Amino acid sequence: MEPRDVFLHVRGEAVFVDDALLPAEHLFAAIRTSHVAHGHVRSLDIAPAMAVPGIYEVFTARDIPGENQVGKTILDEPLLAESEVHFVGQPLAIVVGESAEAARRAARAIQVEIDPLPAIYDVRQAFAEGSLIAPPRTFSSGDVESAWEQCSVVVSGTVESGSQEHVYMETQSAFALPTDRGGVKVVSATQSPSMVQLVVARILGLPMHEVEVEVPRLGGGFGGKEDQATHWAAMAALAAWRLKKPVKLVLTRHEDMTMTGKRHPYLSDYKLGLDAEGHMLAYEVTFYQNGGAVADLSPAILERSLFHATNAYAIPHVKAVGISCRTHLPPNTAFRGFGGPQALFVLECAIFKAAEALGVEPREIQKRNLLQDGDAFPYGARVERCRQRRCWDVAEQKYNLQAGLKEVRQYNGRNAWRKKGLALMPICFGISFTSTFLNQAGAFVNVYVDGSVGISTSAVEMGQGVNAKIQEVAARIFSIRPERIKLETTSTSRIANMPPTAASTGADLNGHATRLACLDIVERLKDAAARCLGKNAPHEIEIRDEAVYASGEATELTWEKLVNLAYFDRVSLCAQAHCATPDIFFDRDTNKGNPFAYYAYGTALVEASLDCLRGTCSIDAVRVVHDFGRSLHPLVDLGQMEGGIVQGVGWMLLEEVMHDADGRLLTDTLATYKIPDIHSIPGEIQVHFLEDAENPPGIFQSKTVGEPPFLYGIGAYFALLQAMKAFRPDAHIPFSSPMTPEKVLLALYPGDRPV
Amino acid sequence: MTQKHEPGECRCSRGLTRRGFLSTVGAGVAVASAAGKLAAQPAASQGADVLPSAEMTPITLNINGRTHRLLVEPRWSLLFVLRERLGLTGTKVGCERGECGACTVLMDDLPRYACMTLAVEAQGSEITTLEGLMRGEELGGVQQAFVEEDAFQCGYCTPGQIMAVEGLLRAHPEPSQEEIQMGLSGNLCRCGAYVHIFKAAGRAAQLKRGQ
Ligand code: FES
Ligand code: FES
Repeated sequence: MEPRDVFLHVRGEAVFVDDALLPAEHLFAAIRTSHVAHGHVRSLDIAPAMAVPGIYEVFTARDIPGENQVGKTILDEPLLAESEVHFVGQPLAIVVGESAEAARRAARAIQVEIDPLPAIYDVRQAFAEGSLIAPPRTFSSGDVESAWEQCSVVVSGTVESGSQEHVYMETQSAFALPTDRGGVKVVSATQSPSMVQLVVARILGLPMHEVEVEVPRLGGGFGGKEDQATHWAAMAALAAWRLKKPVKLVLTRHEDMTMTGKRHPYLSDYKLGLDAEGHMLAYEVTFYQNGGAVADLSPAILERSLFHATNAYAIPHVKAVGISCRTHLPPNTAFRGFGGPQALFVLECAIFKAAEALGVEPREIQKRNLLQDGDAFPYGARVERCRQRRCWDVAEQKYNLQAGLKEVRQYNGRNAWRKKGLALMPICFGISFTSTFLNQAGAFVNVYVDGSVGISTSAVEMGQGVNAKIQEVAARIFSIRPERIKLETTSTSRIANMPPTAASTGADLNGHATRLACLDIVERLKDAAARCLGKNAPHEIEIRDEAVYASGEATELTWEKLVNLAYFDRVSLCAQAHCATPDIFFDRDTNKGNPFAYYAYGTALVEASLDCLRGTCSIDAVRVVHDFGRSLHPLVDLGQMEGGIVQGVGWMLLEEVMHDADGRLLTDTLATYKIPDIHSIPGEIQVHFLEDAENPPGIFQSKTVGEPPFLYGIGAYFALLQAMKAFRPDAHIPFSSPMTPEKVLLALYPGDRPV
Repeated sequence: MTQKHEPGECRCSRGLTRRGFLSTVGAGVAVASAAGKLAAQPAASQGADVLPSAEMTPITLNINGRTHRLLVEPRWSLLFVLRERLGLTGTKVGCERGECGACTVLMDDLPRYACMTLAVEAQGSEITTLEGLMRGEELGGVQQAFVEEDAFQCGYCTPGQIMAVEGLLRAHPEPSQEEIQMGLSGNLCRCGAYVHIFKAAGRAAQLKRGQ
């Protein structure tokens, strides 16, 4: 068996939620949502829906037996709207019928009257009106106010970064089956099985043990199924529980795009001060985060923006303020990077502007200020085992920066209407959930009498390769062939109280838990071997490559024989283990602490080509030196790196989420919302794994990969800006992502509006 | 109800899909093909009958070499019938609007979006889905190439990508870089495994030639 269900995928046999065989008499649910961004629900008439042939039932908020609440930390989100609606696409009713089509038709037939109320979409307006999700937070170090005087150059301005739709290829989906005990089993495409379990129990008024949540695998998540898979699972559960029949709920792409939240757009004000040599001395930034209508994960995402406000740079005087604004858009949510990319983008914009003011290249400022051991982050954590400068230096040499710059200059000299630009992008990303309590996970390992192994963990496989990594961990500890090891689906009945598979922590937390459980079993097996062989102490026994050695000598025992023998010796061959990341803490009153187990570092060189007549940009190359620690699975890590870069470039250059004046999503299909296809990916992606990069806190000295590569995409924006400047040095280019061809043309030809 | 496809006519583009779709339901008059040409296609000349909408119609589909007789509503898509009536869930749903490629199958060796193809329209054609690429227990060449090149992450787009490559190679056994790019241009992969998918297409061509 190969990791990541390789063979299942290429045969089309991998079962995703919507593929599962259900009992013949299962039903389908569809959702009726609000068409108004903010308003009072005057009436909701379900009679026309009930009249549609094949309809079983329509459920509204009144039909929820428990609490109508899906909020996580801030309880502000009803599953089904009651008297007020707060965004277009907010669920009002669930319709259940014998086909998905009938259910959808009936959902449309429901008569809803809503009296509109004033709606807010803009963060400045929300802030002015005090419409906030949580009180503002401030991270600070040094003394910014007095530092401005020491600066030779101070630049300031505003940066806008756009939203981003997840477009996991598998849309949100769940099905639920009633159990004979009056509970419910839910199969959900979620990154947070325990969260789904908790919410379903809350909605139905059941103890959590009556709710089992199972996750087979996800067709992509990227954060979009961390908090926002819960709703659909809860709706399917409610319907199944009320009707005592299996119910499936799968959103269409259009429904998914309109009902679910996206990456948070940010509007940020910055002020950056530097000395004459380009040392960054003081940085002040205020992030206005567009949280949408409910809290969801917005405060946590904003917190990560504050953590990453200074990216990979040492800045002594910092004041970073985060304001999470409540607006009437669908609740924005986690998306790869979790607020980090938004923060990094602002500082890079500030550096770009400062470079212009100082008459230097941005890369000179970047390089001068890179973090090193002994520096401190504004939240107090000390920088240790820092590999920022090494990554930068290796990237410069390996990819021959000077030659690259020369080529770009020559190209630009030769070409009037095509220009190239080259930018560097150093990144630093903290690894751990910033909510310390989430940094725990469980593993449950079963060894069967034939020597095969089944492992359950808290991790959800969504293409990030976590199962392959866990399999590798177990294979190394047991010293057996990976093919013997199977990763089970993720289930709340096997592991309780799981964290979401998010924050790039999946491999570390679950890998460590698996390691501990396997070690337990190995100890017991060694005891059993010692007893059987009769003349050795357990510590003299070694299992190596499926064979058993005593004091270094081969014995007649193999893995299979040993397992079998241990069984007859009545030795337990299953183990459960729990892992909690040590030595991390954070005090939310002082905003100081050491919240991360470690940091991922790296630097990318990004090269862009611009067609100055059409405004279209292509990324010629992204060349990266990245600190993977001692990679646990280079193939998986490489895939994560490439995929993250493609998504990051998409966010910066291509993907534009637009709403109309009434809060309705305009870019609600894949025809109007463009994600990278095979034509728009970088012409070349080179990845160099930094050598000698042991990472003690990581599993087997590795570093996790998931989110950090996304950040390299930001380099694409600045490579494009360089190309634009080469064409028109005096261009006034707004810091506004995505930098679409329209925006490029508007900046290159100001005043040349079409007539 | 059968619709003949001229081999050689925009083999790996999706223009054919939409044109076929429109003419079959009797609405096609002048629809742009992917090549940008305008093709006038009066419905009658294609022999398309207008079927009563909600009534079940018996059809015979040839899928992966097996004949299936079934009753369908004329408006059901091939995708719906494959997944919901025949249980062939290897073909995935990504958008149901011809925008993502997750549902790609072959009809008479040409890649088609199954979501944009009516089941009634697929009569008389040889339909191949991912399940049909297996050679017994052995992987087909394209499947093998996807394994070798690690051409996926979450695997959700994979069936469609494999079918697009299969269709490409049936038309162009030795595709150029551009042809591979064109052949894959109708299939999205949000995990961003494109570099590997691209390589897998090249490797699959080698495998098919027995190299
Ligand atoms: S499902 Fe057919 S193209 Fe997306
Ligand atoms: S592998 Fe996940 S969408 Fe392509």
